[in-house]
Amino acid sequence: MEFATVHSILTVILFVGFVAFVIWAYSKKRKSDFEEAANLVFDDEPESGKQHSKREKEHE
Amino acid sequence: MSQTKPLNVEYNYSVVRLFAITTVLWGIVGMAVGVLIAAQLYWPALNFDTPWLTYSRLRPLHTNAVIFAFGTSALFATCYYVVQRTCQVRLFAEKLAMFTFWGWQAVIIAAVITLPMGLSQSKEYAELEWPIDVLITIVWVSFAIVFFGTLAKRKTSHIYVANWFYGGFIITVAALHIVNSMVIPLNLGKSYSIYAGAVDAMVQWWYGHNAVGFLLTAGFLGMMYYFVPKQSGRPVYSYRLSIVHFWALIALYIWAGPHHLHYTALPDWTQSLGMVMSVVLFVPSWGGMINGIMTLSGAWHKLKTDPILRFLIVSLSFYGMSTFEGPMMAIKSVNALSHYTDWTVGHVHSGALGWVAMISIGAMYHLIPAVYNKDGMYSLKLINTHFWLHTIGVVLYIVAMWISGIMQGMMWRAVNTDGTLTYSFVQSLEASMPFYLMRFIGGAFVVAGMLLMAYNVYKTVSSKTPAAQPAAAAA
Repeated sequence: MEFATVHSILTVILFVGFVAFVIWAYSKKRKSDFEEAANLVFDDEPESGKQHSKREKEHE
Repeated sequence: MSQTKPLNVEYNYSVVRLFAITTVLWGIVGMAVGVLIAAQLYWPALNFDTPWLTYSRLRPLHTNAVIFAFGTSALFATCYYVVQRTCQVRLFAEKLAMFTFWGWQAVIIAAVITLPMGLSQSKEYAELEWPIDVLITIVWVSFAIVFFGTLAKRKTSHIYVANWFYGGFIITVAALHIVNSMVIPLNLGKSYSIYAGAVDAMVQWWYGHNAVGFLLTAGFLGMMYYFVPKQSGRPVYSYRLSIVHFWALIALYIWAGPHHLHYTALPDWTQSLGMVMSVVLFVPSWGGMINGIMTLSGAWHKLKTDPILRFLIVSLSFYGMSTFEGPMMAIKSVNALSHYTDWTVGHVHSGALGWVAMISIGAMYHLIPAVYNKDGMYSLKLINTHFWLHTIGVVLYIVAMWISGIMQGMMWRAVNTDGTLTYSFVQSLEASMPFYLMRFIGGAFVVAGMLLMAYNVYKTVSSKTPAAQPAAAAA
């Protein structure tokens, strides 16, 4: 196969792959998982319930 | 939703502390050298006829110090901090992590010595000679082992998006550095690149632009995805968008390098490819910017009272601005006007001082009290003053370079009816002088802000009062 043909096919595969990936990321099924993931940053206080005080609290 | 059970984990903060303190220290040094060379362009006598103090030797010292000493220390500090906290485990291979600190400081000291001596590979942002390059490689591989080792033993099932950005940045910088630093050594202080001609130029700017794309962008986006939600107390605006823009960003950035070589011996198709990829790059860049800023949606009032959050959010505005400006400047016809002028310098500094420095400073103000077990920084007022000094300094700097750069571009391309050039180079230089003074003043503002930060950090770290006991606070 010619160089240009191989690269054209590759470009199409990558584009379709990207579209499929976006659909996966925005599918309803993933919603709750992602919400949980987004909240990971608030679960990092060691040994105590400090995350209650930090979250949504004004910075003094 | 979020769990509330306490974590039975003690994070390793000792290496984070060291990197956080050196971030402030090298920030002052690197930016002060920048102000000195800005002054030299206005008062050339300031090189004192000393070879070590000439602009040509101090300029790479300035860029290396701000990118690799200040910026990369901030990346090390936040990366080690964020990866532990989002994986809910202690750092993997702690001794190796400590080695990355001392190894990296050795690299910086070696740069401070060799660059003023005039030892250079003459590749922008890759000036350091090969023995230092070998040390960088060893430290960087150790960094990767510590980071990915920590990820591997994480307690959470999901890898938080900030770590994806940090991971992408660590892997890509390793590849870039190793490929671009391939040389044939002549002796300890001199080597020749194994690439020749246009290929050498292309490898250099594949490296150079991805140093911007991965070190100065992906790494700092990792920082943004932890510290903006944390400081604002709100989860990131769209987690889906963060995943999509991560893959889009890293897939596109790698192709953008040729825009540094428009109208050179590089093949035309490569230049056009670089241009198109650079323009498309606007989309994922703004995806990240919007995601960061919109995290504050519904809580904008916090910007009024929290100068740390203001640092973080204004940095994102500068990020949005420079990632609009960059694609525009990568278009060949715009580049014909902008390239080799001060406009490029202005663009770099809106990215470096606006985006990279402001997000790092904001992150440090959040992180330093946390790793020193304090309730907060010594003085919020001083942070606020720092914010304004920095913002005014950056704006003065960028505006001066915009005007000077566009003026230079116009003067250099002006021709008389008989085809001769209207202006000599010296005439354009004379026209730029007032703007060089303005840039110097802007830079001085920025350094003044950094000195305030150093004082504030010193007072915070040395204060005797520890943070209120978490257990008591919870009860």
